[in-house]
Amino acid sequence: MRFVRNLIPLSVVLTLGIGVACKKPAPAPVEPPKPAAPAGPTQEEIDAQKRAAEEAARRKAEAEAEAARKAAAAAEAEKAAAYQRAAAAALKNINFAFDKSDIREADKAKLQAIADFMKAYPQAKVQVAGHCDERGTVEYNLALGERRAHAAQAYLVGLGVASDRLTTISFGKEKPLVVGKDEASWLENRRDEFKLQ
Amino acid sequence: MWGYSGGMTCSGSIGNVVSRVVLGLGLMFSPAARIQAQQAQEVVLEASAGSKLGIAVPRPQVSGLAEAKATGDFHEVLVRDLDEAGSFAVIKGHVPAATDPSSYKGWADAGTEWLLTTTLTRAADGSVEVVAQVVDVKAAQDRKARTAVFSKRYTGREAALRRMAHKLSDDLMSRLTGQPGVASTSVVFVRQLSPGIKEIYQMDRDGANLTPITSYKSLTISPTVAPDGRIAYVTYKGGAPEIWGQKVAGGPHVRLYPVAGKVEGHCFCPVWSPDGRRLALVQGDRRGNTDIIVLDVATGKVRRLTDSNCINTDPSWNPAGTQMAFTSDREGGPQVYLMEEDGSNVRRLTREGNYNGSPAWSPSGSMVAYVSRFEGKFDLFVYKLGDGKSYQITTGVASSESPSWSPDERRIVFTSGSRGGMQLYTTDLSGNTLRKLTALDGCQSPKWTRSR
Repeated sequence: MRFVRNLIPLSVVLTLGIGVACKKPAPAPVEPPKPAAPAGPTQEEIDAQKRAAEEAARRKAEAEAEAARKAAAAAEAEKAAAYQRAAAAALKNINFAFDKSDIREADKAKLQAIADFMKAYPQAKVQVAGHCDERGTVEYNLALGERRAHAAQAYLVGLGVASDRLTTISFGKEKPLVVGKDEASWLENRRDEFKLQ
Repeated sequence: MWGYSGGMTCSGSIGNVVSRVVLGLGLMFSPAARIQAQQAQEVVLEASAGSKLGIAVPRPQVSGLAEAKATGDFHEVLVRDLDEAGSFAVIKGHVPAATDPSSYKGWADAGTEWLLTTTLTRAADGSVEVVAQVVDVKAAQDRKARTAVFSKRYTGREAALRRMAHKLSDDLMSRLTGQPGVASTSVVFVRQLSPGIKEIYQMDRDGANLTPITSYKSLTISPTVAPDGRIAYVTYKGGAPEIWGQKVAGGPHVRLYPVAGKVEGHCFCPVWSPDGRRLALVQGDRRGNTDIIVLDVATGKVRRLTDSNCINTDPSWNPAGTQMAFTSDREGGPQVYLMEEDGSNVRRLTREGNYNGSPAWSPSGSMVAYVSRFEGKFDLFVYKLGDGKSYQITTGVASSESPSWSPDERRIVFTSGSRGGMQLYTTDLSGNTLRKLTALDGCQSPKWTRSR
């Protein structure tokens, strides 16, 4: 389609050019020169020009709209990316002492960052998943993971996050993050994970 | 991989675990624990070693059947069954080649009381007949006559040879003790298929015939088996944990709890009541505490047993269904408590150690098995309600967890090993006949059941 549209103004130009070229080498004043008016563009040519102009305007508008759309999408993508970046930056695991669910002093800044993130992005809903290390029983650890998830939820609510924006789940010791058998690994496994819902 | 001369048949690091059970007593204990271990040794002598009956099990006479098949699927299975049954000492070593009356003195000299002979005959239609006969060789010598104390025929398909061996072992236990054996029982447990993906499986109590029960490709844990074989468990297949299982024996698996709609807090750890009509389970509240509740499966009605500001979990019914053992951290660390079935009369059972859990009330009601944590790993203990004392069952470098009693109360199935490589074992209460059941990627929460 685009190719055909481009041909129309080109053919108009060619028609006019050929007319001028034919008249120049005519020296014999056999007939008096007639006014140029009747030799101008035909009605069809005028219509074609008009259509071409309209088409050009339309395409320009379209291009502008497309550009605007792209800009908006880019802005949206950037916003979403910024949201994801902010989420990734804020939603850091917190850890716990053995058989404990108390929020550690060292983790309060992390929870503040999560609260700040959730305030900055009111659409954010977060799941808090409580986990344990391998050194407790299966069933007790499920209960302990539940308590760890709720401990973080309660702390975040205390920082002003609406409780219905936070869900909890416990995986006990069923999904360890690392497999090591030393205190560093166990500490890493005794955690709350925060995930966007 | 199994020999028949005791429990020392495991390899690698697990072998170390095993050897500590038998040889390493006292090496790793605090003084208090050492006393418990010595008490456990006394129990061994009193419970098993003193009164075992010497039984000889010569290879079967085979007709129409591959020798290897008869050995692997029958003879070895039978010998292992009798070894684990708890009342027999299978005679090994130098024994007569013959089994006719002229050989009885030789058998008796080798310590044999019962001489078990078997013939396996495969018929033209493919069925296999097993004829088993037991002679009391000492009585036969004294009376100069053949004295059969047991004689029975078993028939089945060739594929049922293992099952026939189990049945024979159970019948011999029944003949000797008046109580049916548990060779024909099975174990339901959790098997890890890949990280975070776990399914419920079932297998024979000797580790054969591994069969999947669930295939949700999700996290599915904490199985329980009703007396009629109905399974219940926790699955995360819908995201949050729910309790699924069978309302009728052999029926489809459906959601059992939450009964309808959304319940605040999560549910864990279902345990069928002895009458199979109710499920004790654990329900979390909005503050992250967990309580034990009882669900009437037919009506969907729920009753709360505990209501405290702490963790309450791991319910285990007594056989009458009138009391429950459970784990709670109401006094700080996890300890085992008992309560009436209505939640009243809560009293603490475990006193030693700062982390006790996983109570399992024994089938007769006289004992509660549990695990106790010491130096970063768990060992099995048994609390005898009659004398109010705990006895240590396992000791070792690996963690031993999740005890479940055999239906005849003679053995316990449990998990042991390093994390990720936890395997199933059974042991008698002395730790002398420890058996490894699995070599899988990871096993947990075994439940020993007569249903199969």
